[in-house]
Amino acid sequence: MNWKVLAAGLVISAPLVAILAAGFGRDPKLRSNALEGTQAPMFDLQTLDGKAFSLEGARGQPTVVNFWSTWCQPCKIEHPVLMQAARAYGPLGVNFVAVLYQDETSKARAYLKQSGSHWPTLEDPGGRTAIAYGVAGVPETFFIDADGTIVRKVSGPVSQEVMVSTLEQML
Amino acid sequence: MIPELGRGAVLLGLAACSVGAVTGMWAGKTGREDVWRWTRIAAYVFAAAITVATLLMEYALITHDYSVKYVAEVGSNETPLTFTIVSLWSSLEGSILLWAVVLAVWCAVFAYSMRDKHPDHAPWALGCILTVGVFFTFLVAGIANPFERVPNPLDNGPGPNPLLQNHVLMIIHPPALYLGYVGMSVPFGMACATLLSGRMPTAWARAIRRWMLVPWAALTVGIILGGWWSYEVLGWGGYWAWDPVENASFLPWLTATAFIHSSMVMERKEHLKGWTIALVMASFLLTLLGTFMTRSGVFNSVHSFTQSPIGPVFLGFLAVALLVSVVLLAARVDLLTVPDAKLAGPWSREFAFLGNNLLFSAFTFTVLLGTVYPLLNEVMTDVQISVGEPYFNRMSVPICMGILFLMGVGPALPWGQTEPNVLLRRLGTPIAVTAAIIAGCLAMGIREPMAVMTFALSGFAGVVTLRELVDPGRHRARALGEPLMKALMTTWRVGHRRAGGYIVHFGVIIIAVAIAASSVYRSEAEMTLREGQTKSFMGYDITYTGTERIDEPHRWSRVARFDVLKDGQPLGDAEPRLNHYKKMNQAIGTPTVMTGLDEDLYLSLVQVDPEAKMASLSIVVEPLVWWLWFGGGVMLLGSIIAGWPSNRRRKVA
Repeated sequence: MNWKVLAAGLVISAPLVAILAAGFGRDPKLRSNALEGTQAPMFDLQTLDGKAFSLEGARGQPTVVNFWSTWCQPCKIEHPVLMQAARAYGPLGVNFVAVLYQDETSKARAYLKQSGSHWPTLEDPGGRTAIAYGVAGVPETFFIDADGTIVRKVSGPVSQEVMVSTLEQML
Repeated sequence: MIPELGRGAVLLGLAACSVGAVTGMWAGKTGREDVWRWTRIAAYVFAAAITVATLLMEYALITHDYSVKYVAEVGSNETPLTFTIVSLWSSLEGSILLWAVVLAVWCAVFAYSMRDKHPDHAPWALGCILTVGVFFTFLVAGIANPFERVPNPLDNGPGPNPLLQNHVLMIIHPPALYLGYVGMSVPFGMACATLLSGRMPTAWARAIRRWMLVPWAALTVGIILGGWWSYEVLGWGGYWAWDPVENASFLPWLTATAFIHSSMVMERKEHLKGWTIALVMASFLLTLLGTFMTRSGVFNSVHSFTQSPIGPVFLGFLAVALLVSVVLLAARVDLLTVPDAKLAGPWSREFAFLGNNLLFSAFTFTVLLGTVYPLLNEVMTDVQISVGEPYFNRMSVPICMGILFLMGVGPALPWGQTEPNVLLRRLGTPIAVTAAIIAGCLAMGIREPMAVMTFALSGFAGVVTLRELVDPGRHRARALGEPLMKALMTTWRVGHRRAGGYIVHFGVIIIAVAIAASSVYRSEAEMTLREGQTKSFMGYDITYTGTERIDEPHRWSRVARFDVLKDGQPLGDAEPRLNHYKKMNQAIGTPTVMTGLDEDLYLSLVQVDPEAKMASLSIVVEPLVWWLWFGGGVMLLGSIIAGWPSNRRRKVA
């Protein structure tokens, strides 16, 4: 028995299997988060068209903040859900705003032109807002109520059901 | 009837396969010729039974027999015949059946070709491959049973995933990939046989190499066709996105490529035997990981089918296969090692191969880490992240540069020790060409470091490759006074493995240049046109001539027509469309790609407003994309030449 080979093989394969096994039994789309129930960090950013947007200005209305990028496949899966929600709940007074995460604005513009959007997309130079929100990867979506409190954070694409139930609860 | 017949065929296959797995090991252990014959017969029965099951499934799909569960899930009366046939691999159960049938056929082919060869190894190998077969057939017979009977069948179904019925490449991309994935089981079985018997004669090592070459080539083709499919269908003008499932197909390709190189060192110098066997095993285990990623729902990806009960079972099999491989390797690898084998100094061909293997291993590890890291992070911190393209591009570009560099240096180095002046003479011309390319790039205003470096290194590797292909023929022509062409053909025929290998290198060089050019010098724009209006972009004049609605049984489409001129010359009509499938809210676009040798014009339709007579387009101009597909063809050609059975034996017979 070559113990070195055995050890090396087990060191590589055991954690891999453990990680994959741990991946079961979790809904990859729903996760608890320490930020829930705290005040949402404020931000003043520019939209892709150069207009100003401030979260402070959106206070008094529920706001959905979605971090995304064009290189992220789950974001593309999520996009139609956001589109429908914005169409249905925008008129009821819910703000939708997207923050671009580690991406080129030209790519984002091209993507949005193709897939459409009913909300402003903000540039986040240096990723300062993403850091403030503790975004570790995309997509991540924060539901902020009229008082500016984070009601819910969803990592990974938001499903239709989660979107609807959370918005209904906030309205 | 079909549910019962299909189930019966699968169960017969499972029985044959299980018997063969046991008798194979038995024949390997005892060396009994009669048991070995029974093992081969079991392999043939396995292949026949699963083939019948697959044909029954195709029959059920074509005749729209909705009493079969799988047909009820993916069939529809409106789907065109071609896509009905290929819907065998459009969903989970069908694709596992496809896996099983490909494996069964591989088993039969292996059994037949080994009938009178390698008596010490072949029975072990077939026994191991059939053991893999038992698992997949078990899935088809149990939790992924596509033949389940639907109690009250409807008279129509939802049809396959619209994305998958949008393009003809869907017909060949998945089977090519499966041929590669599943084919890796054969060298895996052979590697296990090597360890179980404790010996690796040169002829057996060559056989492993040949059996690896076929799935490697299929995987190469599958990966490139996948890129092509995503380019032609998905509408964003890209061909690779480091999606977990793309990575899953890339990982075994990387280790298999490393194997093909290390096996050459092993054959010539008796080095790296254990390592080479480990690479074969890793390639197979990575295909299992890849399938797990696609089929378990643990990863988010465009390819993932939904959460399925198959995940945990598959993971269990992966864990067992990993454990068996590691223990087998650890227990027996020392039997293969040649005690006094030492590698030559740094300026030798062996050392270049070693560098190549290090780079490919690093590449594998990088991609594996990037793919699994989001999941790891999620488990540790409960937060899901996506490392995405930036990580992969940052990490892979330097590794690819290193590989390109070694592709030039390696073949220029002789086996064993080298004198510095020999080295200088061998590398003189390539270095001069590299310098000339850099100067040319700078003179033409090409300043992007990644592009310049790729072009320069490709030139370097290209010159060396060309010389390696031509030099033997030139020497022969001079020595024997033959015409050059005849001498070249003779050297290529005799040394077809070598020549094929260098042709594959040419393919890789072409692809490297194409990737660098198309990703660095890509330009995009969006424009909205009124009917009759013309707009220009990058030398193209695009005129919107009108829209039409086309109704088909399974979908309706809005087609926008554009006249395209390039530098004032008519290039043709572009007809990008938006397809609306039944039972699907979103429209799926079919972009128009106008391919040229120098660049592609890529038009995808964003929006059409027939009342206002307006159409919005997204336009991408990408240089040299065509060469990417062409390079894939060159790689396939090279692997066919390299893997072609030698005609020496036939002449003797």
